[in-house]
Order: sequence, then structure tokens, then C-alpha cells
Amino acid sequence: SIPTSAVSDADAEQLQKEQHARSVLRERFLRCVLSMTNKNVRFHMHERVKVEATFGASDIDVLNFQVSDLHTPIGVQKEALIRSQDVISFTFDI
Amino acid sequence: VSERSTTAPPFEQPGERRKAEMKKLYGKDAAKILAMETAMQLTFDRNCDLKQPKYWPVIPLKL
Amino acid sequence: MQCRWPLLGPLRWITYVNKHVKVKAGKDEVLWGWLLTVDPVSASLVLMDFKEDGGASVQVVMGHAVEEVQIQQEADEETTDRLQASFLPPKTCGLDP
Repeated sequence: SIPTSAVSDADAEQLQKEQHARSVLRERFLRCVLSMTNKNVRFHMHERVKVEATFGASDIDVLNFQVSDLHTPIGVQKEALIRSQDVISFTFDI
Repeated sequence: VSERSTTAPPFEQPGERRKAEMKKLYGKDAAKILAMETAMQLTFDRNCDLKQPKYWPVIPLKL
Repeated sequence: MQCRWPLLGPLRWITYVNKHVKVKAGKDEVLWGWLLTVDPVSASLVLMDFKEDGGASVQVVMGHAVEEVQIQQEADEETTDRLQASFLPPKTCGLDP
């Protein structure tokens, strides 16, 4: 049988790998979101809704996007919050 | 600073719980990620205070 | 069979980084791009598409909408470098005292 200490070492190593992967992925994502500030973003939403807006910020749980000059099918909304649950994808240029 | 009875359980420092969670998730990089997230959330909160954005659409597309 | 994308976890997600992927999302959206990262909080993917003029378009696919992710191709060294450099903080010029 495997000594318990070897098992816990392997677990610890696995945990560190996972933590490292998570932090690399998260940091890149956060930098990407930060780079969107003031950029024109096109949102593809459910029910085939497509809108454009100037990106402001996102909360850290990525539940809401705060945007300005949101071009909706029925006009421009100066300031808006978009629920991430309504969004399939969004696109911007760098 | 605030007075509290010695029989009450010690208050959890605000942020301490989150710090511990971050440590579990991100290990030695926890402080860096926490700092980035704090800055990002601050910007979001400040913008929302300032601009008072309303949800669009008013009713969620997907419930 | 692929397990539900949001449940894969960091060690599985990171194997998709620097790969050209095809993503099915929502009911009928299909997107392609070089995968830069996966947000471990929302499972959202960041895909990049480099243009000839040096710019790039970035597509973020929300984790909850992802139906399927297929790896199509590995990045060559140049593409990997471009991906890595995409959102790094701007380097200060080498003129510091």
C-alpha cells in the first residue's frame, strides 16, 4: 500500500498545480476585461438580440457588464447594465 | 475601536474570509489576484454609483 | 464524451490554451479562434483572431452558453508569442534612469 505521507504529498502537488493554472487563467482574463474599458463591444445575446455599447466595467463574478451608449433595437440607452446570463458572446477589437 | 462584549464571538475581520478563500483557490498568487479583483470591483461599483445604469433588457432574456 | 464545460476545472481548461478551437455556444452560434484563456470563475473563453494589419479581434464566450469546445490545431511559436503578449501591461520604454 502507499504510505499516507506520499499520498498527501501528491495531493499537495496536485493542488499547487491547480492553483497555479487557476491563477494564470484568471489573471489573463482580468487583464482582458480591463483592456475593454472604453472600447466598443458587440454583444450577441439570447433570442438573437445583438447590441453595441461602450464597455465600462464588469463585476468580478462576471454577472453584470456596465456599459454606456447602448444601441438597442429601440434606441440608445445612455447608461446600462447587461446581465451576463443574457449574453452568449461578445466581441471587440484591439 | 468599537466596544463589544467579551462573551460574543470575535468579529470576523471584513475581507479575512475572502482572503482565506482566495488562498485556497490561488495559492501563492492569491494576493496578486485579490488586488486585481479589488481594483476591478471598485471601478464597477464606482461607475454604477456615478452613472446609475438600469438593466437592459428590463426583463432577463433567459430566466 | 465531453463533460459540461463549466465543470472541467483549471487543469483541464489550461490544456485548451494556445489551441485553435471551434466553440458551439447558445442554440446555434459557432465561433472559432485561438484560445487565450478561460476565466476560472465564469468558465468564459477568450478567443483571439489576429488580423493582417497587426490588430486582433477578441471574442469572449460566456461559460454558461458553451455547448462544446473542439481543438482544431496547435499554435506555432509565433502565434503562441502573440497570444502571450496580447494583454500584458504596456512595457515601459527602456529609458529608465
